[in-house]
Amino acid sequence: MTAPTETQQLMSVRAGVLPGALEKAKAARDRRTYLLLLLPAILGLFATFLLPLGYMVKMSFDRGAPDGVIESAFTLDSYVRALSDPYYWQVIWNTFQMGIIVGVLCVLVSYPIALFLVRTRSRFRGLLMAVAVAPLLTSAIVRTYGWMVILGSNGLVNSSLHSMGLIDAPLKLTNNMTGVEIGLVEIFMPYAILTMVSGFGRLSSQLEEAAGSLGANGFQVFARITLPLSLPGVLASFLMVFVLTISTFVTPTLLGGGTVQVLATEIYDQTTGVLNWPFAAALSVILLALFGAIIAVYQRLTRKIGG
Amino acid sequence: MTVLPQLAPLRKVNPVNSANTVGSSKLSIVDLTKRYAPGLEPAVDRLCMDVEEGHLVALLGPSGCGKTTTLRMVAGLMDPTAGSIVVDGKDITQTPVNKRGMGMVFQSYALFPHMDVAQNVAFGLQMRKVPSGEQAKRVNAALEMVKLAHLSKRKVRELSGGQQQRIALARALVVEPTLLLLDEPLSNLDAKLRETMRSEIRSIQQRTKATTLFVTHDQDEALDMADRIAVMNGGLIEQYDTPAMVYERPTTRFVADFIGQANFLTAQVLSENGQAADGERYYKVEVGGLGRYSAVGAPGLAGSSREIVIRPHRLRASLHPRPGDDAIAGTIERVSYTGDTIAFAVRVGDRRLLAQSMTSSADMPRTGDAAYLSWEAADAFLLPGHIRGSGT
Repeated sequence: MTAPTETQQLMSVRAGVLPGALEKAKAARDRRTYLLLLLPAILGLFATFLLPLGYMVKMSFDRGAPDGVIESAFTLDSYVRALSDPYYWQVIWNTFQMGIIVGVLCVLVSYPIALFLVRTRSRFRGLLMAVAVAPLLTSAIVRTYGWMVILGSNGLVNSSLHSMGLIDAPLKLTNNMTGVEIGLVEIFMPYAILTMVSGFGRLSSQLEEAAGSLGANGFQVFARITLPLSLPGVLASFLMVFVLTISTFVTPTLLGGGTVQVLATEIYDQTTGVLNWPFAAALSVILLALFGAIIAVYQRLTRKIGG
Repeated sequence: MTVLPQLAPLRKVNPVNSANTVGSSKLSIVDLTKRYAPGLEPAVDRLCMDVEEGHLVALLGPSGCGKTTTLRMVAGLMDPTAGSIVVDGKDITQTPVNKRGMGMVFQSYALFPHMDVAQNVAFGLQMRKVPSGEQAKRVNAALEMVKLAHLSKRKVRELSGGQQQRIALARALVVEPTLLLLDEPLSNLDAKLRETMRSEIRSIQQRTKATTLFVTHDQDEALDMADRIAVMNGGLIEQYDTPAMVYERPTTRFVADFIGQANFLTAQVLSENGQAADGERYYKVEVGGLGRYSAVGAPGLAGSSREIVIRPHRLRASLHPRPGDDAIAGTIERVSYTGDTIAFAVRVGDRRLLAQSMTSSADMPRTGDAAYLSWEAADAFLLPGHIRGSGT
């Protein structure tokens, strides 16, 4: 027996038979359409993301030999090594701390800019927006080198401060965590600004005017209205920068000058220097766990502020 | 049947010269001007008006007439280019918005989405550092007033438009504002709800005796709710008076045209024809090409050229000429039946006059029928201003 055609279904519904059959058929058809439309993306993600990720997780349980040979096994050796050695705890802590510091500073300096871009009635708003994200047009490597020039012992900052007589010896701003953090804050500002601008949807000048008319001064308007309503954007922006920071590799390597050990640089060393891929894979899984933890916190917070 | 029944005329009109009520006014606006950019036409042009304590005044006009700009300047949300705003005898032109102690209801209600209903209403009290026990009492009283006390813990986004509007009103009134400012508060509601809220806002306003400025573009709203109406056009007040005076005795053609429907007839005022009520005079007038009729107007109009305003429902339309009647004969061009009333457009030469009457079960006029139009002298009002461009 063949399936009833749409007309037949319609007729049966009209006749009072099979109530809801038409709706059910429509819902099933809709589901099929959605699945079909999602298929390319699902396949693409599966091939380029889930499959390699699974492979990496599997590899983290393999046994690595000194000459780069990977021995297929199921062992927790790599994890045990990573989590029992205080050095790697320090690396994990460095990574986490760098993510928090860069995330907080980046959000702090980007917030006023994002707020301005959302509020301005200027006809140059589009242009200003483009200027704010224009740094993305140059690669992070170029900008990192730029910061090395600015922050170096004979760089712009130190020579200016010296010629003003404010310092005797140059400040140490490169080849350490300070330099890396300064560089990363600037490099991730466009992302922070973009995320905040799109997350400030609930802000409106009328709400601020209403608060003003009810007696709130400028600071109270900001603290009671503007800030709470912009929190979803701020949190999303922080999450974005945190994730980018703890996975970045170029800037810690170059501006850190080999003295800054974070998970990303450690993974790089393990894959290209020591050639212990299973151990690198285990470190990557730990990095992923760090992502997971921060995303869980983020979700709890957004639910709390009713985003 | 000859004469169609008339709408009951509103005969007695108290002339109130409100422009001169100095002393008891709660709010005085003096020469208030706003120019958005140098060289542009001012959005509000040397506006003067006084609002009496406890009155509800409607700022009425088409969009772009400056009514919202005026309200925002009074609220302190916008700086005037010139002029001053005086409340209770104190010049507050330079006072920042948060020190003015006014309550404002915004067109979009502007309720704080991250607070519940009670927190929204309490906001103004918190800013005034009212003790929390008293806060709770006053918030509750304000919510009782708008009949929404049971929703105090609701989130704003769970409320309907009408409920949001009431919360916004409660939030503005709970602080016992010096002035209540309403910016098109009903325009986002559907027609039925608008009607209910109209009478509700008016009754709350009268109970709290809050002096209120109300911006609207809806003439029915203004006529229904206001003690005084300021009809605005192009940044100027065309007329500032009671609803009845604005309707019955418009001072300009714009006012007559904007408020309700009106027929305009250009007439030569021939001679005075006796005393009318309230110091007005009856006149014999010559309406170009139609003949001699009677009209009413201010003293001293004889010998000039003026426009006569006649409201459609004051035009008596009959389907048959009566002997000895000097009615204007015309042809019915269009009949518009709305249940209670029936309106016709009557073609008279090159003029098109609008008439309106109550419907009756007797025979109905049809397009193409002859109609005879006449009016009582007291219903034909001579506009006091000269006809634009005639230069008499």
